[in-house]
Amino acid sequence: MMTANTFDLHTYWTRHLRPRLKPLPYLLLLPTVYFVYLFTIMPTFKVLRDSQTYYHPNRPAREIMSDLSLPGIEEAKRSIRGPHDVGFAYFRAMFDPDTVEGERFFRAMRNTIIYVVTTVPISMLLAFTFAVLVNRRLRWIGSARIAFFYPTMLPMVSAATIWLFFFTPEYGLWNAALRWFGYHGAENWVINPDLALVGLIIVAIWKNAGYFMIFYLAGLQNLPEDVYEAAALDGASWWVQMFRITLPLLRRTTLFVSVVAIISAFQTIDHALVMTYELVTGEADLLLYEIYNQRFILQNYGFANALTVVMIAILLGLTIINFLISERENE
Amino acid sequence: MKMRILLILALLLTTGTAAIAHAQDPVVVEIYFPIAVDSPITETLEGYAATFEEANPGVDIVFSYEGGYSDVKNKLLTTMEGGGDLPALGIMLATDIYDLRNAEAIVPWDAYISDDYLADFFPTWLENSYYDYDLDGTAEFYGIPFQRSTVLLYYNKTMLEENGFAAPTNWEELATTAQALTTADRWGILNPNSWPYWVFQPFAIGAGQNIVSESDSEVFFDAPEVVEALQFWVDLYEVYGATPAGVQSNWGDAPGLFADGAAAMILHSTGSLPSILAKADFEVGVMAVPGKEGGYATVSGGGNLYLVAGTDDATAEAAWNFVQWLTSPEMAVDWSINSGYITTRQSGLELDTWTAYVAENPQAADAVAALEYTGREFSVQQLNDVRNILHSYILSVLNGEATPAEALAAAQAEAAAILSIYVME
Repeated sequence: MMTANTFDLHTYWTRHLRPRLKPLPYLLLLPTVYFVYLFTIMPTFKVLRDSQTYYHPNRPAREIMSDLSLPGIEEAKRSIRGPHDVGFAYFRAMFDPDTVEGERFFRAMRNTIIYVVTTVPISMLLAFTFAVLVNRRLRWIGSARIAFFYPTMLPMVSAATIWLFFFTPEYGLWNAALRWFGYHGAENWVINPDLALVGLIIVAIWKNAGYFMIFYLAGLQNLPEDVYEAAALDGASWWVQMFRITLPLLRRTTLFVSVVAIISAFQTIDHALVMTYELVTGEADLLLYEIYNQRFILQNYGFANALTVVMIAILLGLTIINFLISERENE
Repeated sequence: MKMRILLILALLLTTGTAAIAHAQDPVVVEIYFPIAVDSPITETLEGYAATFEEANPGVDIVFSYEGGYSDVKNKLLTTMEGGGDLPALGIMLATDIYDLRNAEAIVPWDAYISDDYLADFFPTWLENSYYDYDLDGTAEFYGIPFQRSTVLLYYNKTMLEENGFAAPTNWEELATTAQALTTADRWGILNPNSWPYWVFQPFAIGAGQNIVSESDSEVFFDAPEVVEALQFWVDLYEVYGATPAGVQSNWGDAPGLFADGAAAMILHSTGSLPSILAKADFEVGVMAVPGKEGGYATVSGGGNLYLVAGTDDATAEAAWNFVQWLTSPEMAVDWSINSGYITTRQSGLELDTWTAYVAENPQAADAVAALEYTGREFSVQQLNDVRNILHSYILSVLNGEATPAEALAAAQAEAAAILSIYVME
């Protein structure tokens, strides 16, 4: 009886359970899962938790009567340093333009939106133009491609430093060129409240156009030639071929590039750190720069974390949109 | 059972030998260090470390170069927060004292220093070293002066003399001299003011009122003298046309332009003296900034040596020995000669190395002479917030959006609101 029973179990094991449990793939995935947890999931939850904490490490631990200058917080005798649990007070403050946090958040969001809606379309248009220009078989075309691609190879910090020199008032290259075209306005591009953001946008376009060009060039070189032959036989002009064939066929490239461009526009602040850090009035502060500023310069810990939550939400939203669109395309 | 006993024995043995080996290890004194001037200070400091280690076997001095001043501070604070290995010493801005102490990143030197030791430092270097954190009426001492500088007025002596001018002695002379020396391809004076507080302070002090006092929670942005100082900055370009109009972001370029003769005078740090002297083919004059009605004024700046919180006693002791040696009159003079910073010790001026050096470089003696007129550098609680306010209103004036009186009144109100939580009745 016993023997039969054991025997049955063993058969059951080998026939039904064992084939389903393949530990090796999970074992191989484990390091990845661990690092995703360590560097993505855990920090995300930490940020969510810390966005509800009032903490100013640059202040002394002294107790005074205070409402912490946050909406919805009762006045009480508490440390000006923290930490205090304030729930969602920072998020309430961010959407209340009368608070310091609200003012900074609106300004950072406005600047970021201006930055994204200018840098992304302009650099993509330039990228496409460059790609069409260099997509031909000519002598030395390689050096033309390198010339367009070269800004991409520079680290952003070096690019910003070079541009800082171009933007120098009086003898800077950029200002000299503008004057030649009849410009006589302000020349302090990195410190002028009206121009600093434009300065960042110019550098970002210069830096990114060549990078996006690579994707368009790859797209152009993969287009089927027979379609163009047929179009040429039908007497379609260059413009018609461009708008009726090339652009529609490059739709997926455009989609991919635009998502990459938008995400990278949210993630780049290196040039702001080099160029516009002196403009403390915030006219050129992008969202990510504002996070850095609040966390490391002003040491407003909770607000920096609340801004990070917003940033994560935006990037997550963009990623999901990208995923949905590409899934639909694949069907 | 036998196996387990063996294992425990083995474990005890390894930890035991490790402990013995540990005792023979040198005491490591790590120092976070910023690079803020244009001279080969890395080599100089490595040389100092080697010299000290030779005389003190069992101590290992490790300089960690972390970038600029703000990088050092950020690295220290984030390492502390993340529970990483901290250095024993940090060279950070004298003005960061409140931020660093409030963050519990530094501890006082009081157990080590003596009055005799401090008495020999130029008093101005100690103005941002004390902080009464616990409000018990006694301020603790945190910052030992190390790489210190002031604002100087650099002038092209040759050019001034050729045009019949002596060094200016008041604002009127400063402005008219600069005006007369301005040509189509030369400015009379460059006033790097895109990060303005430091270069601004000598003018406020020269008008009779510094923007800060001894207190950590008091500012004087809207004092009539301070308003006059900002008006003088505006007048320099609006009335005299002697300096570029509006905001000048030329801190990095000014020394080069001055050395090339493209500017007759500049306001800059003492730290730029060696590079200017090396490049200029004319006689360079340096002085504190002339005051409004005569007299002189300038402001201290630069970095102090801080003892990092959590340093164990043996390491702190070794760190203190190194600091004492590093700030000795002999070393302070050597450091000044090699780096361009001003010597920190008064008795250093009597050393042969110093007298021989100033015989060759009289400007170095003039820079030390300016210390007599030095006011306290701007530092208060929540310095970054309060300084941002001052900067944004000064820039709004330079951009022509407000008058000095309006702007500075608004700056005072905003600053006072932030500092109100630190005012103790």
